[in-house]
Amino acid sequence: MYDLIIIGGGPAGVAAGIYAARKKLKTLLVAESFGGQSVVAAEINNFIGFKSISGIELKNVLEEHLRAQEDIEIKEGARVEKIKKSDAGFLVSAGGEQFETKTVLVALGSSYRKLGISGEKQFGGKGVFYCSTCDAPLMKNKTAVVVGGGNSGFYAVLDLLPHASKIYVLEYGDAFRADQIYINKAKKSGKVEFITMAAAKEITGEDFVSTIKYEDRASGETKELKTDGIFVAIGYAPNSGIVKDLVKLNQNSQIIIDHQTQKTSCDGIWAAGDVTDVLYGQINIAIGDAIKAVLNINDYFSALGGSASGGKKSQ
Amino acid sequence: MVKIYSTQTCPYCVMAKDYFKKLGVEYQDFDVSTNEKAREELIQKSHQMGVPVVDIDGIIIVGFNRPEIDKALKR
Repeated sequence: MYDLIIIGGGPAGVAAGIYAARKKLKTLLVAESFGGQSVVAAEINNFIGFKSISGIELKNVLEEHLRAQEDIEIKEGARVEKIKKSDAGFLVSAGGEQFETKTVLVALGSSYRKLGISGEKQFGGKGVFYCSTCDAPLMKNKTAVVVGGGNSGFYAVLDLLPHASKIYVLEYGDAFRADQIYINKAKKSGKVEFITMAAAKEITGEDFVSTIKYEDRASGETKELKTDGIFVAIGYAPNSGIVKDLVKLNQNSQIIIDHQTQKTSCDGIWAAGDVTDVLYGQINIAIGDAIKAVLNINDYFSALGGSASGGKKSQ
Repeated sequence: MVKIYSTQTCPYCVMAKDYFKKLGVEYQDFDVSTNEKAREELIQKSHQMGVPVVDIDGIIIVGFNRPEIDKALKR
């Protein structure tokens, strides 16, 4: 029986793990991998204390700090399959095993938002990509389409610039929302074509992607582009599916929390980081919120009082 | 024989290679962004283009999937 199971190995999960270990809560941290979504960032310039750090370096620094704690168990490489209520708290199934815990902290973050159009799933990895840092080099001397005209879309454009011969950017709205500095860089290259008011409709091809169809929202016409690769960069969706029947979510599927304590609507479950309805998705904030959650969980155990009650921290 | 198809910029490729190093597993690394033959092999083996792809004695694993890598290595 654990006092606390932390689910997630991103900045929030790791920060929670360090604080929980130092508070001597009997803790298990379950993570598919460490680092979270920022692991793919080539450069992070606003993580406080580091002028510049790559996503992978940040992952290493965080993981090292966590593993330096004596009082924590870590189960890495396991996906949590199910969380359900039990008499004493919750049963968490992960990697074929089951663990019982009094409290849960959900720090599952978010992952790439999908377009949800025909062909997207079928051509996943076969020309449909989400990680431009990873897969842009595969577009050497090829034509690529980036869907999404915000900052993440333009990050993809910048990743593609050294490789692709031609890049189209499709934006749903009537203007690009990315920072001007990125738009200017893309314009200057001369090989980027900008298309606004474009709603992606369908991805087709044979073995690999060959075409994307989109609706020109201004004229209502359906148009198509021949392409070797489609980079989907339309933001992030919270990984809240595992607790959707236990806690209240908002219309964006984010876990609704009390922002003072990080408590969810379900007694015994806290949440922190990008999986929650936090206003700003930032590493620094996710870390702070996760720490708030653990301090509140610790207060919860303290309030339960004496060891005879069984509510006190497990020894 | 363990082969990994990767690009230099791909963090999951780095994580997969670090994992092999940690386990003391020797591997051959092919950079598909510069090596055209390797790119063809990647597509032919995995029927997709994303990296990393790991080939462990003919077992093809797409992405850095630790449980699958563990399973393939234990065989």
